[in-house]
Amino acid sequence: MTETTDGYNLRLYVAGQTPKSMAAMTNLKKICEAHLPGRYTITVIDLMKDPALAQRDQIVAIPTLIRHLPEPLKRIIGDLSNVEKVLVGLDIAPA
Amino acid sequence: MSASDNDTSISSFEAEETVRAIYQGAVDAVVVHGRNGPQIVTLSGADEPYRVLVDRMSDGALTMSGDGTLLYVNSRFAEMVSRPLDQLIGASFTSLFEAGCAVDGSQAGGSRRECQLLRAGQAALPVSVWAGPIALGDQPATLVTVTDLSVHRRAEQIAAAERFARSILEQATEAIVVLDRSGSITHASDAAEHLLGASPIGQRFTAAFKLEASDPDHAGLLDRSSTSLDSMLATKPFHGIEVRLRGRDVAAGRTFLLSAGPLFDEAKTAVGSIVTLTDITARKRAEEQQTMLVAELNHRVKNILAIVQSVAAQTLRNAGSLDTFNERFAGRLRALALAHDILTKTRWGGVELTQLLTEIAAPYRERVELQGPPLLLPSQAVVPLSMVLHELMTNAAKYGALSAAGKVLLGWERVEGEAGAMVRMLWQESGGPTVAPRKKTGFGTMLIERVVSYDLDGRATLDFAPEGLTCTLQFGIGAGKMAPDAPPVSDRALG
Repeated sequence: MTETTDGYNLRLYVAGQTPKSMAAMTNLKKICEAHLPGRYTITVIDLMKDPALAQRDQIVAIPTLIRHLPEPLKRIIGDLSNVEKVLVGLDIAPA
Repeated sequence: MSASDNDTSISSFEAEETVRAIYQGAVDAVVVHGRNGPQIVTLSGADEPYRVLVDRMSDGALTMSGDGTLLYVNSRFAEMVSRPLDQLIGASFTSLFEAGCAVDGSQAGGSRRECQLLRAGQAALPVSVWAGPIALGDQPATLVTVTDLSVHRRAEQIAAAERFARSILEQATEAIVVLDRSGSITHASDAAEHLLGASPIGQRFTAAFKLEASDPDHAGLLDRSSTSLDSMLATKPFHGIEVRLRGRDVAAGRTFLLSAGPLFDEAKTAVGSIVTLTDITARKRAEEQQTMLVAELNHRVKNILAIVQSVAAQTLRNAGSLDTFNERFAGRLRALALAHDILTKTRWGGVELTQLLTEIAAPYRERVELQGPPLLLPSQAVVPLSMVLHELMTNAAKYGALSAAGKVLLGWERVEGEAGAMVRMLWQESGGPTVAPRKKTGFGTMLIERVVSYDLDGRATLDFAPEGLTCTLQFGIGAGKMAPDAPPVSDRALG
């Protein structure tokens, strides 16, 4: 994932290869490429490998996307298949 | 939908959203907080890819509880033990192996050992077993993988057999090459490489080996187009064509036996052929030498028979009685036999004159004095000279010096004549009874003169002086004096 300093810093929490985790990863990538080209960073965190990381962002359900930056922190739960809901949730104006 | 503040704690709105997402099936895993901290509980499908992977992997895999009860086995493991899956779940791990297979699954990182896996209705299978710890919830358990070693062992055996076959080929003393179906060389023995001075692998047989038939009858076989010869060698068995190799010094003058036989794979399909070039040069030479020796022996036997026949006829003609014939004929045969013994000892090479005369004069060794330099007598002169000296010796024993207390001086010297080297030999009797003048020439005298004249191409002079017989012989010993094929003691001389 490319790193940008003043763009969107996103964290996607997944659990191994569950179907919705896989779908969330694919959908997020598409949305970012379409609406935030060159302005986003995605960090994928697999809680199967280290469940303790769930505590940092108070994750209770998977998949969960956290917008870390820009502030304020925002949270979207699900496979991110509803593009409109994701754009609203992340405060991104439709392109 | 709004975020409350920078706090990461979940707002009531977010909690509602989470419950709604779970309720609507938008999530497939949740985080629960157990005794050991957060744990992930998947609601569906998370382990499916792993399950498929494990089930289809080529090694056996299983999990067992702390007491060694099987909790899960993959299809491959069931196949390895030739038992249905449902019979294995709940079975005891140790019951599946000969002698139990005491692998320690408690060490972090696991441990491995070789065991014999029991199989329904078949011999035990050698396997490598790896075991390592895993926690199933709060319960300790063991993960096990089982690798079939028979495949590895078989591969090792095949590799060893391949190395062995290759070493046989490489170390064979004969030139051996393996051809594929198209006639190209795929393997070659060291001897073949040595013969060619380079590796022929990859070349067509006829390009690497420039052959010509050593037997003109087989020339047609090798003169056909190189393509069809390659194809014939690669596909048809044949044996025993004698060939020579052109253009290689190392093979100059050598004869090889060309043979080819089909090469079959495990399915008995011909995949090419093995072509052998056996160096038969030494054998050919031995055969030629033997043929020559047999011809020579035949020639000599015929000569001897002619001599014997002639000696018998002449002895009979001049003998007054059967007893006289018997005595003289036996004596002459002995002389002939002695000469042949000496020739055999020297393998029909030249004979040292002193050695020959010592043997001939052996019965009178005290009374025959030999005087002369070392001199090599050609083999053709041995029989005639022996016959001549036998006649002189017999005569001396009957009538001359050896019949009384007399002596014989047998001397010789080498002289250079017009036609090359000659030997001049003197037989001089003394101390015997007074010699009476000869009224007629006896057979012995005649034989001496004729043998020396015809067979030794020389001259004999006999002087019957009253004080003792003197005989002078002079004949050539140089090359060309006697034709090699001229029979010794010919019919002409005796007839």
